Amino acid sequence: MSNTISGKNLLRPTGLRCKNLHEYLKSRPPDILNKLYHNPPICLAVFRELSEIARHYVMRLLFVEQPVPQAVIASWCSKLHSEEHQRVVQVLNELNVWNEASIPGGLPGWILNSTFKKNLKIVLLGGGKPWTMSNQLETDSKPRDVAFLDSYALERWECVLHYMVGSQQQEGISADAVRILLHAGLMKLDEEDGSPVITQAGFQFLLLDTASQVWYFILQYLDTIEARGLDLVECLTFLFQLNFSTLGKDYSTEGMSEGLLTFLQHLREFGLVYQRKRKAGRFYPTRLALNIATGQNKPLSSDLEKEGYIVVETNYRVYAYTNSNLQVALLGLFCEMLYRFPNLVVSILTRDSVRQALKSGITAAQIVGYLRQHAHSKMIEAGPPTLPPTIADQIKLWENERNRFLFSEGVLYSQFLSQTDFEVLRDYALNTGVLIWQSERKRTVVVTKAGHDDVKRFWKRYTKGSN
Amino acid sequence: MGPPKRIKKDNDRGKWKKRKEDHDEYTEDDFGEGTDTDGVPDAAKNDVEKQDESAVEDEFGAKDYRSQMILKPDNMSRPLWVAPNGHIFLESFSPVYKHAHDFLIAISEPVCRPEHIHEYKLTAYSLYAAVSVGLQTHDIIEYLKRLSKTSIPDGIIEFIKLCTLSYGKVKLVLKHNKYFVESPFPEVLQKLLKDPVIQECRLRKNVDEIDKDGFITNVQDKAKAMQFGAKPLLNTAQQPGTTVIPENAVEQTPAETATVPEDITTFYDKIDKEDEDEEEEQQLKTVSFEVNQEKIEVIQKRCIELEHPLLAEYDFRHDTINPDINIDLKPSAVLRPYQEKSLRKMFGNGRARSGVIVLPCGAGKSLVGVTACCTVRKRALVLCNSGVSVEQWKQQFKMWSTADDSMICRFTSEAKDKPMGCGILVTTYSMITHTQKRSWEAEQTMRWLQDQEWGIMVLDEVHTIPAKMFRRVLTIVQSHCKLGLTATLLREDDKIADLNFLIGPKLYEANWLELQKRGFIARVQCAEVWCPMTPEFYREYLSCKTSKKLLLYVMNPNKFRCCQYLIRYHERRGDKTIVFSDNVFALKHYAIKMNKPYIYGPTSQSERIQILQNFKFNMKVNTIFVSKVADTSFDLPEANVLIQISSHGGSRRQEAQRLGRILRAKKGAIAEEYNAFFYTLVSQDTMEMNYSRKRQRFLVNQGYAYKVITKLAGMDDEPDLLYKSREEQSQLLQQVLSASDMDADEERIPGEGPRPIIRKLGNMASMSGADDAVYYEYKKSAASTTANKHPLFKKFRA
Repeated sequence: MSNTISGKNLLRPTGLRCKNLHEYLKSRPPDILNKLYHNPPICLAVFRELSEIARHYVMRLLFVEQPVPQAVIASWCSKLHSEEHQRVVQVLNELNVWNEASIPGGLPGWILNSTFKKNLKIVLLGGGKPWTMSNQLETDSKPRDVAFLDSYALERWECVLHYMVGSQQQEGISADAVRILLHAGLMKLDEEDGSPVITQAGFQFLLLDTASQVWYFILQYLDTIEARGLDLVECLTFLFQLNFSTLGKDYSTEGMSEGLLTFLQHLREFGLVYQRKRKAGRFYPTRLALNIATGQNKPLSSDLEKEGYIVVETNYRVYAYTNSNLQVALLGLFCEMLYRFPNLVVSILTRDSVRQALKSGITAAQIVGYLRQHAHSKMIEAGPPTLPPTIADQIKLWENERNRFLFSEGVLYSQFLSQTDFEVLRDYALNTGVLIWQSERKRTVVVTKAGHDDVKRFWKRYTKGSN
Repeated sequence: MGPPKRIKKDNDRGKWKKRKEDHDEYTEDDFGEGTDTDGVPDAAKNDVEKQDESAVEDEFGAKDYRSQMILKPDNMSRPLWVAPNGHIFLESFSPVYKHAHDFLIAISEPVCRPEHIHEYKLTAYSLYAAVSVGLQTHDIIEYLKRLSKTSIPDGIIEFIKLCTLSYGKVKLVLKHNKYFVESPFPEVLQKLLKDPVIQECRLRKNVDEIDKDGFITNVQDKAKAMQFGAKPLLNTAQQPGTTVIPENAVEQTPAETATVPEDITTFYDKIDKEDEDEEEEQQLKTVSFEVNQEKIEVIQKRCIELEHPLLAEYDFRHDTINPDINIDLKPSAVLRPYQEKSLRKMFGNGRARSGVIVLPCGAGKSLVGVTACCTVRKRALVLCNSGVSVEQWKQQFKMWSTADDSMICRFTSEAKDKPMGCGILVTTYSMITHTQKRSWEAEQTMRWLQDQEWGIMVLDEVHTIPAKMFRRVLTIVQSHCKLGLTATLLREDDKIADLNFLIGPKLYEANWLELQKRGFIARVQCAEVWCPMTPEFYREYLSCKTSKKLLLYVMNPNKFRCCQYLIRYHERRGDKTIVFSDNVFALKHYAIKMNKPYIYGPTSQSERIQILQNFKFNMKVNTIFVSKVADTSFDLPEANVLIQISSHGGSRRQEAQRLGRILRAKKGAIAEEYNAFFYTLVSQDTMEMNYSRKRQRFLVNQGYAYKVITKLAGMDDEPDLLYKSREEQSQLLQQVLSASDMDADEERIPGEGPRPIIRKLGNMASMSGADDAVYYEYKKSAASTTANKHPLFKKFRA
C-alpha cells in the first residue's frame, strides 16, 4: 500500500464545538452586532471578556473622537509583544468594536464603533434608559435563599439531562425543550418510531461540566429564537442583564414585552431563573444564569461543591456512591454495570465498554476527565494523580487502537479483460503518482480521487487506440 | 413529553457477554480429568452465585439489588455491602476495616484487593474453612449483619446456614495412637452412629469413661497457650496473644472508636476472644468414639456422604507412640506477624489442623513450613516439585532450625541419603508417585517411607499437583496432618476446590498489597512492553499456520531488540535479571545471540546449580535465561528484574509464580519507589495481546497495576543492538521459517505425555492451563549434554 497519500480520518468523531461568547458574537453579521451594541449591558459584557491589552486600547480610544493611526496604536505595545497586538487587532475587528478609517494624509487608522462607544460610556459613567430589570419591587413575602435557588437550578437542569439519557425516573420536559435538543443535534428522531434518541454529540454534551452545558444549550436555543418569533437582540440583551444580576435578589417582570416573558418561561424551565408562579411578577436568577456569558472555562461553583462519588481501582473496577439514575446512566456510557446497591453502583471498565463509548463519539479525554472531575474524596486524598495512571493510559490506548488506519479516498478500477490492460493502466497510474493500491492477482487498481479524471481519460484513449 | 427511547444498547450488551464467554473458553485446564466430585460433600456443590439469577436487571444492565435490601441509617460507619450472589464489597478506608478484613478473610475468598474497595466472595469452601477454624454459624451471620451497610439478603443467610450447620461439627482426632471421632455435639455423633457403615467402623472397647450413650466424654485441663517451635526460651515473645493484643490496642484509639458503631466493636472483641479461648470451651464438653484404624478411609468417605465431613486434627502433644524428633527453631528465626497469624490458625486449639496456607512468593513460606514441623516435632515429610527445590528446602531447614545433615534426608533421583533414623525427609511428588521400576535403593526407601506414620506432611506449591496425583500420594503416605503451602490458590480449571477436601480448608491468605506496603515483599513495577511486529514478520504471521504463529511473535526482531535494551539498561544499573521464555527455540536463540547462560529442561542438575550459583555470586553473570522449569521454587533472592519474552498462553498462575521470583524483599531499597521490575514483552496485534490481558487478571486483582509501555525511551540511541537492519531481520525470518514444528511448540517436559500440537480454536483450552505442573528430572549422559551446549557452559563445567 502506498502511504504517500493520507486522507482525513473518517473514524475519528468530530468533537463537540462549544463556542465562547466572542466566538458566538463573531459569527453574527455586523448589522446584528450593531443592533446589539445599542444595549449597554451587552457592551459591558463584551468589554469585560476582552483581553487586558484590548481593554486598554478601548479605554484609551474611548474619548477620542477621530481615527487614530494604526502605527500609533501599534507603538503602544512593545515590539516583543507584537504577536499579541496582532491578535487583539483581529479580535477587535471581528467584534466590530472598531472600524478601519483613513486619516487625512492617507494613513490607515482605527476608530471605535460609535454605537459601542456611546453605550460603553453610558455603562461606565451612568445615564441612559433604566435597565428592564431595575424596576423597584416590594419585598417578597417568601424570599428564597441562595441554597434553595442552587438546588432548584440543578434539579431543573438535571431534568433535561435525565431526559437525554432516557431515564424513566424523572418527569418529562416540554416539547419546546425537546425541539431545542433536536435542533442542537444532541438528540435525533429515531427512524423507526420517531421518538427522540441521543446522538454522538449528545453523549459528548453529557460529559461536559454544567456551565459549558448550559452555555452550549443556550447558544443552540438562540439559533432557533427567531423562528419562534422572538427578537434575538431583545433576548440577548436580557440574558446579559441576567448575567450582571445578583444571586438571591428578586427582580420584577414589569415592563417586559410579551416575547421576553415567553423567553423567561423557557429560562425558567431550564432552571436559569426561578419563578414561583408563571404570573408571579417577580423572578430570581440562579447561578446557572449568572455564569452564562463567562464561557466554559469557569466551572460552576456547585460543580466544585458537589461531593465526588467515583472510585476507580487499578483493576478497572469503577465504584460509584450514588443512587441517581443520571449518574448511573452517565457511567453506563463507558462502563459495564455489574451490581446496584442502595447507595453504590459496581461497574467495570472493559475494552469493549470503552470501545462502545468511543464508537458513539465520546473521546478518551472526556472519559478520563469525567472520572477525574467526580473522583471520590478518598481518591483525591490518595493522589496525585487522582486516577490510577495505568487506567488513564489504558483508556487512551484503547482510543489510539481505533485510530491506526489512514484513510485515503480513491477510485477502484477492476474487471480488466486482460493482464496487459491491467498492467498498462497500473503503470500509468504509478508513473503519474496517483496509484494507491493494486493487486496483480485480482487485477484491481485503486487511484486517488484527484488522479481519477486523468486516469479515466488515459483509459479512454488507450481503449480507443487499441480498437 | 414522555421519556424517549433508550439508546439501543441491549443488543450490544448481549454481544459483550457472549464475547466474554468466548474468552473463558480457553481457561480450562488440561489435566485431563473429568469432573471429579467424589469426596466433596453435597452442600459444597451449592453455588451461591446462581442465587441471584432471579435478580432484576435495571435499565443499565446492572443487577439491581435495591429491592432486596434496606440501607441502614448509620451506613456511613459500616464498611461493607453483601450482594445476594455472595459477593461482598469492603471499604478499605473504613475505621473498622481491620476488624472486617480479619473476619472476611476467615469466612470468604478474596476476589480482588486493590487500593480502596475490596471484593470477597462467600463460597461453600470458604465457609467450610471458617467453621473449621472455630467460627459458629450464628456468629458469622450476626457479625456480617452488623458490619453491613444494608440488611443482609435472606438468600445469603440461608446459604451460610446450609454450608456451616453440618460442617466442622465432627473431628477425626488421633491421640494415644488411636483414632477417635470427636464432637462437641452428642446429637451429631448419635446421628452418625445410626448409619450402618459407620457402626461397622466403630471400635468398641471396655473403657470406664463410657457414659450411657456409649461415648467417651472428655474433660481436660486448660491447654497451655500455644507456642511455635516449642521453644521454652522465647516463651513470652512467641505467645500469640502478645502480638495480637497490642495490635488491637492501637486500633482502638479513642478517635476511631467514636465513629465505630458500638455493636461492631463489642462483637468483634467477643469473636476475637472466642478464637483464643476456644480450646477450653471445647474441651469441656467433647464426646467421642473410637474408630477402627483400618476403616479410616471408609468412615471419612461415609461422613462426607452424610454431609458431616471429618476435620482431621492431630493431637501431637499426646501422641506417645511416634517418637519426638529433636528439632527446634533457632533463636535467630523470627516470625513475621502474618506468618504467626497463619500458624495460629493452624495450631489454634493446641492441635494441628490440616489445611492450606496461602502466602505470596518470597513472603517466607518455607519458614512457615519449618516452624510447623518444629512445632509438631514428629517425623516430617516435605514434598516439593523439583530437585532444585528439594535442595532449597534442606537449606531452609538448616538455616531456621537446629536440624543438621544427619536429620535431613533427601530422596530424589540424584541424591538419596540414608533414610533410616532421620527426622525429616524431603522429596518430590514425582518420586513418590513414580510407577515404573525403581532402583533397589529407591525401592527400599519407598518401603520404609510407606511403613512410617508421619507426623506432618508439608506440601509445597500445592496448587501445581493434579488431584489424581495427589490422591496417589495420600494413599501411599500415612500422615497425621497435612499442611499445603502455595502462593496462588488458583488454577485455570477451578479444581482448586478439590484440595479443600483432600488436604483441608484454606487456613490463611495474605494480602499482597499490604505485605508490599509493610516492606515484607518487594515493590514491583509491572510493565507490559508493546513491541510492534516488523512488516515482514507480520505478513508471515497472518498467512502461516497456527503452530508457527507462536514462533513468529516470539522471535519478532523488535521484541529481541527491546529485550536486549532492557537487559543492558538493567545491567548498567547493577540489577540481576532473569529472562523467561517458554519456547525453547527462542530461549536458545536469544541466549546464544546475547551470550548469556541458560537453563531449560534438559539442563542437568549440577549444571543448573552451577549457573544459579554463578548468578548469585559472580559479579559478571547478571543475566540468565530460563525456561518454564524455573517458574516455581527456584529461589533466586538476588534477582530483581524479570523479563518475560514468551509465556504459556493465558495462565494467570504462571504470571503470579513468575512475579514471585522477584518478590523477595530487597535490602536497602526503600529510597526508590519501586525496587523490582517485571516486564512482559508482547508483540503488538498478535494473539499474545489477548493472552497477556488474561494472564494479568490475577495480579491486577491483587492490586498490581500494569503500565503499558508503547515505546522504550532511549532505545534508538542505544548503539549496536542486534537486528537493526532489514537484512538481519530477514535472515532471522528465514531461520524462524525453517524451524521445525517441534521448535514452534512450547517446551515439553518429558513425562507429561503427548500434547496436541494443533492449536485450533477448540484446543485453545489446552494452552492456557497449568500443564507445566510436573517437573521430572532425569539425567542425560554427559556426552550428549556437552555436545549441543553453548561454549560458555563448557567453560563453566571445566
